[in-house]
This record gives sequence, C-alpha cells and structure tokens, in this order.
Amino acid sequence: MSKQILGFLVFLAIALGAVWYKTQGNAPSRVVLRGLVGGEKAGFLRDEKVLDLLKGRYGIELDWSKAGSFEMVDAPSAGLDFLWPSSQTALEAFRVKNPDPNIKSDVIFNSPLVLFSWDIVVDALVKEKIVETREGTHWIVDFPRLAELVVGGRKWSDIGLANLYGRVNITTTDPALSNSGHMFVGLLSTVLQGDVVTDANVDSVLPRVVRTIKALGFMERSSGDLFLQYLNTGVGAKPIIAGYESQIVEFAIDNEKTWPSLRQTVRVMYPEPTVWSAHPLIALSPGGAKLLKALKDPDLQKIAWERHGFRTGIAEVRNDPERLSVLGIPERITRVVAMPEYRVMEKLVQAIQAP
Amino acid sequence: MIRRFVRCVPAVLFALALISCRDQKLAESLTIVSGSENQTLEPLLQEFARSQGVSISMDYKGSVDIMNMLSDGPVEADAVWPANSLWISLGDRSFQVKQSRSIMVSPVVFAIRGSAGKRLGLDSGVVTIDRIRQAIQDGRFSFAMTSATQSNSGAAAYLGFLHAMSSDADSSGVLSLADLADTNLLAKVRGLLGGINRSAGSSNWLKDLVVQRDYEAMMNYEALVIEANQALVKAGKEPFQVVYPVDGLALADSPLGYIHHGDDKKRALFEALQAWLLTPEVQARLVALGRRPAALGVPFQPDPDVFRSSWGIETKRILSPAPTPAAEVVRKALELYQIELRKPSATVYCLDYSGSMDGSGHMAMVDAMRMLLTPSIARRNMLQNSTRDLTWVIAFSDHVLETWKMVGNDSTEQEELLRKIRTFRPEGGTDIYSPLVAALDTLASLGEGKYSPAVILMTDGVSNIGRNFEDLSGEWSRIRKTIPVFPIMFGEASSEQLDPISELTTAQTLDGRSNLAGAFRKARGNN
Repeated sequence: MSKQILGFLVFLAIALGAVWYKTQGNAPSRVVLRGLVGGEKAGFLRDEKVLDLLKGRYGIELDWSKAGSFEMVDAPSAGLDFLWPSSQTALEAFRVKNPDPNIKSDVIFNSPLVLFSWDIVVDALVKEKIVETREGTHWIVDFPRLAELVVGGRKWSDIGLANLYGRVNITTTDPALSNSGHMFVGLLSTVLQGDVVTDANVDSVLPRVVRTIKALGFMERSSGDLFLQYLNTGVGAKPIIAGYESQIVEFAIDNEKTWPSLRQTVRVMYPEPTVWSAHPLIALSPGGAKLLKALKDPDLQKIAWERHGFRTGIAEVRNDPERLSVLGIPERITRVVAMPEYRVMEKLVQAIQAP
Repeated sequence: MIRRFVRCVPAVLFALALISCRDQKLAESLTIVSGSENQTLEPLLQEFARSQGVSISMDYKGSVDIMNMLSDGPVEADAVWPANSLWISLGDRSFQVKQSRSIMVSPVVFAIRGSAGKRLGLDSGVVTIDRIRQAIQDGRFSFAMTSATQSNSGAAAYLGFLHAMSSDADSSGVLSLADLADTNLLAKVRGLLGGINRSAGSSNWLKDLVVQRDYEAMMNYEALVIEANQALVKAGKEPFQVVYPVDGLALADSPLGYIHHGDDKKRALFEALQAWLLTPEVQARLVALGRRPAALGVPFQPDPDVFRSSWGIETKRILSPAPTPAAEVVRKALELYQIELRKPSATVYCLDYSGSMDGSGHMAMVDAMRMLLTPSIARRNMLQNSTRDLTWVIAFSDHVLETWKMVGNDSTEQEELLRKIRTFRPEGGTDIYSPLVAALDTLASLGEGKYSPAVILMTDGVSNIGRNFEDLSGEWSRIRKTIPVFPIMFGEASSEQLDPISELTTAQTLDGRSNLAGAFRKARGNN
C-alpha cells in the first residue's frame, strides 16, 4: 500500500511539473477571439495544423460559431472580434449598416462557383459542345446553351441520357438562405442576360430565372448537405449541382481512401465565366485586426489551399494544383464576372420566394 | 480508492493522458428515434452496443411523427434516423440535428406477385405510374400501402403519384401548389387511392401483413420487398416482382443525425456508431440485408441471391427519382391526402365505460378522443377526419350502453360528440366482446371497397361477463371481411385478452399509457 502511495506521489509530481512547464512556454501573449464563421470554413478552423500555427506564432485562440453569411452581418455584433462570411455581397450589406471606415476587412480566401456532375453527363455535354475539356479541366464554354436547355425545359433524353428521368436541371441550395444558391442565381441571370444584370435590365431576365429555380422544388439550406446528397444519391438523383471548388478538394483530402473510387465518376465543371465566392474577414476589434493579419501568413494560406481547397485572396501567393490529388483543377481561373449588385440580387431572390 | 482519486484529477489526465480511460470516453447509452424500416437492423446495432459495453435503444416512429417532434422544440433523444432526409429538413427549423449522414439507400418500388404481374403485363418493359394506376383502379389485384401521412414510403409513393399524373408537373418540372388545385388531378389520385385494399401505419408492419395475408401488390422499399420475398419463398409462396416506375420513383436515403444535449461522451458514442455503420464491412452487411450502400466510395457489390434478378431487381439501373416538391407543396399535399383524397375511413370507437374506468382511465380516454375530435390538434398530428369519413362511438360496460354516429368532419358535430363522450359516466362490469360484435356488424353492412374500415377498442379491464372470444371469432368468420380491431390499452389493461383479438383481425395491440398520440396514429394509419 505504502509503495502505491509513494508511486502515486511521484506520478503526481511529474504530472504537475508537466502542467507547469506547459503553461510557462515562450509563446506570445495569448488571446481568445470570438467570431461568427460561414460553415464552409469549419474544416479549416478545426484543422490542428491551423490551430497550432495561430496559437504558436500569433498567440491566437478562436471561439467561433457557424452562421449563415447574411445572418451574421445582420446579427448584433457586441462582444465579437470578427465576422467571416463567405460572400462579398454580405460584406457590402455589412458596410451599408456599419459605415465606420475604421473597421478593417480583407478577402482572405476565394473559391470559384463550380458545377459538380458525373462522367456520363459531362460526356453528353461535351458531345453537345457545351463543355470542352482542356488539359484535364472541364470548361463550360457555352453556358448560355446549357442555361437554355434548363430554362427551356428540355429532357435529359434530348441530349442522349435516356437513363435519367425528367428535365435537364442544376440543383442548388435555397438562394434565400445559402450563399452558393445565391451565387448561382447571380451567375445564371448574368448568363441569360449576356451581361451583369442591373436595375435597368433585371425585369427582362427575371421570369426565366424564377421559372428555372422554382422547377427545382425542394431546396436544401446548406451547401455541405447538398454536396453530400449529390455523392450519396448519385447521377440519377443529382445529375448536376452547384457548389464551391473548395468542397471537392477538401472532400478528396479528408477521404483519401474512398476518393480513388469516386474519382472514376465524379466530375467538376468550371463555368466560363464563373463568379468568385470571396471570404472577407471583418475585424470588429483590435484582436480581430490581429487575426486579419495572421490569416495572411503564407504558411496558413498554403494549408488552406493544400488541405481545404481555398484559393488565396493574397496576390503574391501561388496556388499550385499539382499539390492536389483532384484531377482537373486549373491553376488559374481568368474569366470571372462580378455578381449583380445586392439590390438586384434581392429582387431576384424575393421573386423566387414568392408563391 | 487511490485509483479513483487519480481518475478524478483532470489536470493529471489532461497533461499526461497516462491512464487509459477508454470506458469513460463514451457515454453509457444512446437513444435513437428511428423509422420502422430499421427494425431489421436491430441485431446489428445491438452487436455494436455489446462490443462497446454500452446500450442503444431504438424508439420506432413514423416519419411525420419525427418531423413533428423536431418542429415542436427540443428533442430528448440523442439521435434521429428517419427514412428520408426530407423529414429532417421540413421539421428541424431550429437546426437541432447535426452531423447527419446517409447510412444506406433504398428506392420505394411497386411490388406485385409474379403471376398477377404477368397477367397484367406489369412485369416487364417501361412501367409508368399511370399503368399501375389503371390496374389498381380496375381492382385486378389486392393492393396495400402505408398511409402517406404516417409513413415515408406511403408519402413518397403518394408524391410520386401526384407528380406523374399532373399534366403540368411534367412541363414545369415539379409539382406546384397550382397542380394541387387542379380538380382533374385530384380526381385521378382519389381514384387510385380508392383502389387501396389495405392501408398500414408503418412500412415494416405492411411487409409483415402482406406476407401473412397474401396481398398481391404493395408500394414499399426495395429492401423490405426483398425481406418479404425471403419470407414468402421460405413459406413456399409466390414472391413479389419489383417494378421501378419510370416517372414517380422515390429514394429513401436514411440519414442518421445527432442531437447534442451538451454531453461530449454522447457525441463520441454517436460518432463511433455512425463511423462503424459507414465502414466498408458494415456496409457490406447492410447490402446482405437488401440495402444499397451509402458510404461514399464503397462500391455496390450485391449478393445475387439477395438482390435477385428473377425478382425483377435491377442493381445496375440508375435510380432516377422524380424531384421533391417545395416544402409548402409537400405540406399541402399531405393535408389534401388526409382530408380529401385518401379512401374514406369508417371507424367504430368502442369506449370502455365500466366502473374501473372512473377517474384517471376515463380522463385518458377523453383526452384520446379530444385529440381526434378537436380539429386543431387533429390537424397537427395528421389525424383529422375527412368530409367523407364515417365515425361511430359505442359506449359499453357489461353491455352496449349507447351508440353515436357522425358523418364527415363538421366541427360542431365533433364538439357535440366529444361532449357526450366527456359527460357520460362509467359504471358496471366489462364485456368487450359485445360492442366488438356490434362494431363488426355495422362495418360489414357498408358494402365492399368503399371505405377503409377499422375498430378501435379503448379499455382498461378484463372482460368478465357476457360474450366471449368465440362469439367474436364466429362473427369474424361470418362477415368474411378484413376489418382490423386495434385494442388500445389503458390503466391496468393486460394484453393477454387483447392480443388474440388483434391477431384474429390482422391488427396490433397498442399501448395508450406510454404514448397515446403514437398509439392513436398507429391505429389511424390503418384506415
């Protein structure tokens, strides 16, 4: 018995010593920052390497909750150090409500809106000359014609896909609730209009956009849920969905074992032009400003690309697709259009929501 | 003592993690609210529970129940596992459900006995919903499905019917509110639903029923058709042929999602279970049970002896479902089903007014009837009467005391009926057989096929006077009609006397003491 007690005391001494040592490290002064974050970045912010780097190099620890991009810029921000939405439009909305020029913000990451599909669908679209494959990347070179197939209510069988039931469609999340659906509506209206939609011409394109989105019926609220359903239910249920490039990259990295077999049939299509989903960080306190600076750290940017698929928002960092195991990711995306203005988008989304 | 002390020093554990506390990282138990189609997986789940030294309890509920439960507020259970993610999306407006992942996939198919299918030409080629509708309406075979307002397979089939028969949904791409106002469409769907010979409250029970009672066709999950066929073949009977309707197919994606109550050990247990279910090994075992795999990257390698091509099962077919309508369209469609489109039901409620029911028994019974006869409560539970439903209430003690009848769903009449039920006073002995014989007699006189008949018996006691079981079984064989009698137990009731009644009449004995609404919905789902 006394041996046990002695053993225990030695053990306790070592343990307490370890705790003492741990808290006496030479890291910079520590700060815990609170904020709201768009769900797409959850994987990045749970990454041990990211957390270690932020803590070790900058003394920053994060206490964050998930929130929708538009939800967070509307929410009361008292006690928060930062907001990190997934859309430039959300930043615009924030600036309208908070015109204080001292509030800093910068785009930390970018990810293009892409369409996820399947081998047989992409093959059919290549035959239709809607998609062109260059250097392994599938580019939607004739988006207006794809949009016309959808808007015109053509069937899959019309483009040689008799196995698929119903009309050619592109499934998105609910544009009123989720940013990827919101951005798809912006892109679709621009493609149908032939130019960025404005107050002046929105009415001419509105009925076609509304009809197209309404034909989807039930829409998911979250881009992540839609992406998983696309993979789970397959080409029959979800022939084409809209999402972010980062989703497939992160998925491939997180699922090393299963990715090789999925890669046989999963395809990514890049609209030409496409729209960027920007991830601007809004600093609400000096701590937030510290985080804004820290996130531009080249090592963090490298992790963001190589482990989570976010393209950098910083000019001097290069995104090398060779580092990724996902085939068909282009190094650069050069043809990009701006999203329509917030006001115009609101009009489109409200028309879609009306019964 | 010392060991316990060591375990209780979190700093020590945290700093060095020297002591193995595997048993402390997982919670001891997990409760899952699940669709009935997962009953088959119970042994698999218990195997996991044993291997981890934990307990897993499954609480089986219909999809609409799960949807309502989520929209009502905080859910007590640790996890939900409905047949389709649609019910989580529709019900969970406060984002309670986290980490939801599809565990397996099964299509909702039309299944018809081989010879009947051949006779009607439904066994090969491209089969549309409209061809199935014509055959059902012509009454060429006996047909059963689950209630669209109780069970996911019934709802999926019903939405598929609406989609396929709407002339407009085909051109607009998806069923809309405008379609649901189209009287032509509603008449067609009413016709189809009128051809249903037997409605059931849950998919698993439907499967057992068609096997025992030799129904010739049903709508159900491919997985449960496989189970039914295995039982039929074993019994030397003719199996079902699976038909995948081209224009109204639905997929059940079976999502298992977590509800966090602040206990990280529960979360760890949930995650361990979910990860285990998605391992290639367990996915292969699910495939052996007739389910299609949902773990990403796990190839579908069906056992040809389970997914038999001779049963019409097509494993290479691309499953291409009809699009799911918007949330408000789904809600409206379900309401229309309940109050206008389903086959009208003819229900006799036999209420026990013997002396022992006085007090709490009587109050519970009145509560039950209030749930049914108060339109706002009934609507929320999708239990409301339609304009064409027939309702009788037989009050009994040692003999039949009163019989009240009501046609349709007029709210004043429902209120009046409820008042009678509330104010009538219990006294005397118990004879449950006399009112049942009277109820069967009443329903049998309605003629064939126009109504879904059922008797619901609410009792707390033991029949000790008057008629007996032989009188009831005599009446049952005399009327030669399938009229299920659902006993709902109150107070001290024992199932000993009630089980033979539900067995005889192809029904179930239900417990009104633990979950009255659930018991009621199960009974009502059958007509």
